[in-house]
Amino acid sequence: MMNDLGIAVLLAIALSGVLLWLLIPRHKSSRNTLASFHPDAINAFPAAKHYGYFPQIRQALSVADSRYLIENAPSQVAKQALRERRAVARRFLKGLHEDFSNLARLGRIIAALSPEVSREQETERLILSLKFQILYTLVWLRLSTGNLPLQQLEHLTGLVGRLAKRMDEAMAEVSALSAGSLPKGISA
Amino acid sequence: MNHLETFLFWSTLSFEITLCGFVFTRKVQRILPLFATYTYVVLAGAIGILLTYEYFGFYSPTAYYAYWGTILLNAAARSLAIVELCRYGLRAYRGIWALVWRVLAALSVLLLIHAATDAWGQPNKVAIYGATLDRDLALASIVILAVLFLIRKYYGLAFEPLQRAIAAGICFICAVDVIGNTILRNILTGYLFSYFSINQKALWAALSPQFERVRDTWSTIHLFSFMVSMGIWCYALRKPLPAPSESPVLLPAEVYRELSPAINMRLTTFNDRLVELLKP
Repeated sequence: MMNDLGIAVLLAIALSGVLLWLLIPRHKSSRNTLASFHPDAINAFPAAKHYGYFPQIRQALSVADSRYLIENAPSQVAKQALRERRAVARRFLKGLHEDFSNLARLGRIIAALSPEVSREQETERLILSLKFQILYTLVWLRLSTGNLPLQQLEHLTGLVGRLAKRMDEAMAEVSALSAGSLPKGISA
Repeated sequence: MNHLETFLFWSTLSFEITLCGFVFTRKVQRILPLFATYTYVVLAGAIGILLTYEYFGFYSPTAYYAYWGTILLNAAARSLAIVELCRYGLRAYRGIWALVWRVLAALSVLLLIHAATDAWGQPNKVAIYGATLDRDLALASIVILAVLFLIRKYYGLAFEPLQRAIAAGICFICAVDVIGNTILRNILTGYLFSYFSINQKALWAALSPQFERVRDTWSTIHLFSFMVSMGIWCYALRKPLPAPSESPVLLPAEVYRELSPAINMRLTTFNDRLVELLKP
């Protein structure tokens, strides 16, 4: 059984590790801080950039395409093609992750710049983000092991398409409301 | 004090004087008054301890009580410096601050209650009591700083370099204190416990050298960690401080009220679709 000393040492090491990791400045993350945020950035915010590839993705993941391949191509070629399609699907899933992260980040930026924040809304967004991470990992694993029919991903393409449209509207709204009220460079 | 301890003591004192010099010349007290106070308290404590050793002797009971008193005074001043770090920069973001200060305050109260109850349960001996309280306060400091950094990172509110260096230094001292005090407490409540018991007076002479060795070792580690942290702070203060950043101009409240539920709704839809994908 681990004694008091072991627990304290492990806890101190783990917490210090987390803190050091947070303390080390990273160029990539610093780009995403509020320090570099200003109204013009809202318009340029990468809302759902993977939306542009949806027609191709839809085509690549279509049931008809798969059936055509299996029926007409030599089995080795068909297998190779299906493998590549799974890789494409994984990349698409990664893109969805990026879109989700951007949307969640927009929510956090708006919260940080708001004079009033709802505890319920913030808690909900945090839980949703954690839930998404778990679900994303599970879907990615199932896709990698071939346990997920590709055509199911087609539903998601429609969702992200609608999302992109609403995000554009939301950003235009934020941009209009914030015009003239924000300085060119907000310091955190 | 042995040679190593003497060397470390004077080195630490030099670092403390240098740090206080930097704090004063860079006018840190204008932006972080409680951290500035902490550095002055540390220096005053070290000088007080030095005078106590000089007048009453290194192994005198007065020096023993003064040592533990200073340790706890430093821990209290450090806790106030952490409160200041929590407040600094976040207060300008009114919405987030209103949410965060409650979380941090609730967490602090919980951790302080834990520290008090943990120390309360210890035998009424200064060293055991002091080691327990100092350890729990250090652990509380690490937890509070970690939560603060996670919150700031989550909302994209980066720390300025000086505040980051101060937090790193405090974190290092606290981590060493947690480990060192836990080991010390285990030794004092374990095989050295007879040293504190009136009934075991016959053993005192035999245990005294071991007690002093343990105390010396811990003192050396503590001084060394202090020196490292002060090195970090001195390095951060080597250049004049940049002008304080401007307060952010916030968005109208209706932007959040309208957009936040909409964004959460879209995020929920994402999750719902992923759940659908996982259904057999």
